[in-house]
Amino acid sequence: MEKGDPVHKKLDKNMEKIKDIFKNCDDVVYRQFKVGINQEFSLAITYIDGLVKSDAISDFALKPLLEAARKVEPTPLTVRDNLYGLITEGNISISEIKEAETIDEAVDAVLVGETALLIDGYEKIVILSTRGWEKRGIDEPETETVVRGPRDGFTETLRTNTVLIRRRIKDPRLKVKMVEIGERSKTDVAVLYIEDIVNEKILSEVKKRLENIKTDGVLESAILEELIEDNWISPFPQIENTERPDSVAASLLEGRIALIVDNTPFVLIVPATLGTLMQSSEDYYTRWTIASIARIIRYIAGFVAVLAPGLYIATTAFNPELLPTGLAFYVASTRINVPFPAVIEAFSMELTIEFLREAGTRISGPIGTTIGIVGGLIIGQAAVEAGIVSPLMIIIVAVTTIASFTLPSYEFAAGLRFYRFIIMILSAILGIYGVMLGLIVMGTHLVRLNSFGIPFTAPFSGLGFTTGDLKDILIRAPMRKIRNRPDFTFPKDKKRIR
Amino acid sequence: MEEHSKVSNGQLKALIITTNIGVGILSLPSSIADIMNNAGWIAIILGGLATLPFVYIMNKLAEMYRGRIFYEYGKEVVGNMLFKIFSTIYLLYFMVLLSFVVRIFGEVIKAYLLPNTPIEVIIFTMLLATSYIGRGDIKSISRMAFLILHIIAISTIIFVILSLPTLDLTNLLPAFRFNIKDIPEGIGTVFFSYVGFEIILIALAYVEDSKSALKSSFIGIFYTTLIYLVTFFITLSQFGIHELKKQIWPSISIMREIELPGFFIENLDGIMMATWVLIVFATMGPLMYTGGVVLSSLFNTRKHNFFVLPLIPIVMIISLIPESLSQVYSTMDMMVRYLAIFAIIIGPIILLIVSLLKRRKRA
Repeated sequence: MEKGDPVHKKLDKNMEKIKDIFKNCDDVVYRQFKVGINQEFSLAITYIDGLVKSDAISDFALKPLLEAARKVEPTPLTVRDNLYGLITEGNISISEIKEAETIDEAVDAVLVGETALLIDGYEKIVILSTRGWEKRGIDEPETETVVRGPRDGFTETLRTNTVLIRRRIKDPRLKVKMVEIGERSKTDVAVLYIEDIVNEKILSEVKKRLENIKTDGVLESAILEELIEDNWISPFPQIENTERPDSVAASLLEGRIALIVDNTPFVLIVPATLGTLMQSSEDYYTRWTIASIARIIRYIAGFVAVLAPGLYIATTAFNPELLPTGLAFYVASTRINVPFPAVIEAFSMELTIEFLREAGTRISGPIGTTIGIVGGLIIGQAAVEAGIVSPLMIIIVAVTTIASFTLPSYEFAAGLRFYRFIIMILSAILGIYGVMLGLIVMGTHLVRLNSFGIPFTAPFSGLGFTTGDLKDILIRAPMRKIRNRPDFTFPKDKKRIR
Repeated sequence: MEEHSKVSNGQLKALIITTNIGVGILSLPSSIADIMNNAGWIAIILGGLATLPFVYIMNKLAEMYRGRIFYEYGKEVVGNMLFKIFSTIYLLYFMVLLSFVVRIFGEVIKAYLLPNTPIEVIIFTMLLATSYIGRGDIKSISRMAFLILHIIAISTIIFVILSLPTLDLTNLLPAFRFNIKDIPEGIGTVFFSYVGFEIILIALAYVEDSKSALKSSFIGIFYTTLIYLVTFFITLSQFGIHELKKQIWPSISIMREIELPGFFIENLDGIMMATWVLIVFATMGPLMYTGGVVLSSLFNTRKHNFFVLPLIPIVMIISLIPESLSQVYSTMDMMVRYLAIFAIIIGPIILLIVSLLKRRKRA
């Protein structure tokens, strides 16, 4: 990296340069002042309004410099040589002080909310740590609510987020490495891992991928996610994201790596597998029997979310003989007045649900609920009464949609939704065989996916299957029985309960 | 992170089982009953045992050339030119076997699920879907095999449990009456139901734990034998020997015989057919992959995935040559057998002998 201009001895020259860089940036504040009994020493501070704690600057930097320094009467000669030391060591009572050798360094520091203190006659700029801006308090996470469990969620401020993790794992081996990503956005990204658990290869792969990013801005962790993913074309996420500090802490203990991106409450966790995307933090706060049943239900829901409409189309249009005779007649009788083939019926209802979903997410709050009720109840009821769709179709579409919402990972459910449409098209052409073809293609895609070199389908596809990873994936075994960390993270320290 | 995603022992077993079991399982009970009558199970066991020496040879070769695939070190062993001819025969074998499998698959799907769809469409779509995994690597294929193995296991168990109430065990008897002269033919028939395990010629180069690879391969063959035996016993006791001989695909038609108490699901054959699609897919995927690998070794390229798609039209044309199902089972089956004799028996044996001789000369 280029170092930029070194700091000049003359304060005026330095100020000129900084003012030139911050040309037309009216939110930058400059203040020049003189200290000393005879007002012979020129000083200046620069900061960005709103990014700093103004109280801190006036109370702990300006006040001591302007007032306290005047009362002292040092001999001019000694001060001349040692003004810098006197100021940094004696006068300023802000806890964190750094030095900048170049103008650019100082500018970067100002941009993140620090204050630059320029001293005439010295080739260094003092950087005072005065970060402080308006931030949201710690709220309950919006997306992953639990009945029992901690209510704190991540916020937009990176430092708050790392604190939330630190409070949970008070271990010096929990490492927080800071990386800066984005040429313009200069977004801080914290890489969190537990040193003696994490696998070095996965860690170095993560670091390598982060270093290779050449972009101008990372505004949300989703952007970072796409930039470091193994397969960015896939509809399935290969990186987990969460708003909950407790689930990040649990993942760190499993030997995974967390990436906290500044300005977003969504923290990334790598590597992720199909199994971990099906885990919810609530599973660990309820009795294991209930949690296990919930897990199994989620897997069933996953299959329903992918297959239900496709199977409906296939059985009504191609293979009614697959159904028991009574049921086949019933299905046929409900469709007797429906003027469309099953595909059109299914597609129009799925499309309606997608409209409702979009409308519901755009307009949240009371109007969103109203839209859900109007859409779900009235349109459904009216469509059946008008004879456009069969009541069975409504049930299937509704069940499919609800099933897809039971999955903890919204992105993963969205990927399944994508394949649901493909299977619907295939089933309309090839019946039940088409459904199987769709499953084959989806299965092949999943099997070929990797998350940081770890097979995405682990442990179902072999890795960790025999060592008992299914105990915490397919069901949630009692805590005493989950003695080992999962295999897919290749932890250095395998034992969890000794 | 290479070693993170190598082929594990469990995956190797799964790979062998899923490639073994394919379309063969549909017709095996009746074709073996034709030859050996009630004693067909003896042929199934002996046929399984007959594959073991060749599994051993393949393992031995993999041990001698650790970390490399058959189609790579073969060039070194017998010379580039000669091995080109070998590879061509292997390629032919994989293409004919693939055509055979996909043709029977198409016929079965047409007969049971899509009577009005042209068979070309079924064959083409299946080949296309399979080529997706064929373009992947051996690790993805073995992961898929592992997933599908559990589907096979679960459906076999369901199949056994459901057929228990209607079984007539007296149909099994006389279980030991057979003509000793029929045994070679019986073994011959069964042996070719085990084709597909030559995938280990490639897979063994990627195994995680090469020491227990041989054991895992044997266990894989053992499970296949077990599944064949179960199928044979159940179809035999359900139909009786005379009716069994008349069936083309007894393993499917048995599903129509089974009735569930409570009549909730009446037609299990549809569900079984759906599972069977997956089983055939697990057979065809590795074949497609191997075909691509052999082609790429013929052209001396490093990546095999470009060569998978061009296989589709060729395989499709070959698969459509036979005019009827009986021709598929006579002519095409014969061709597969002759080629399989080379691919499974002669090829690896020649390579083993030559490399042993070379090694002795050096020592």
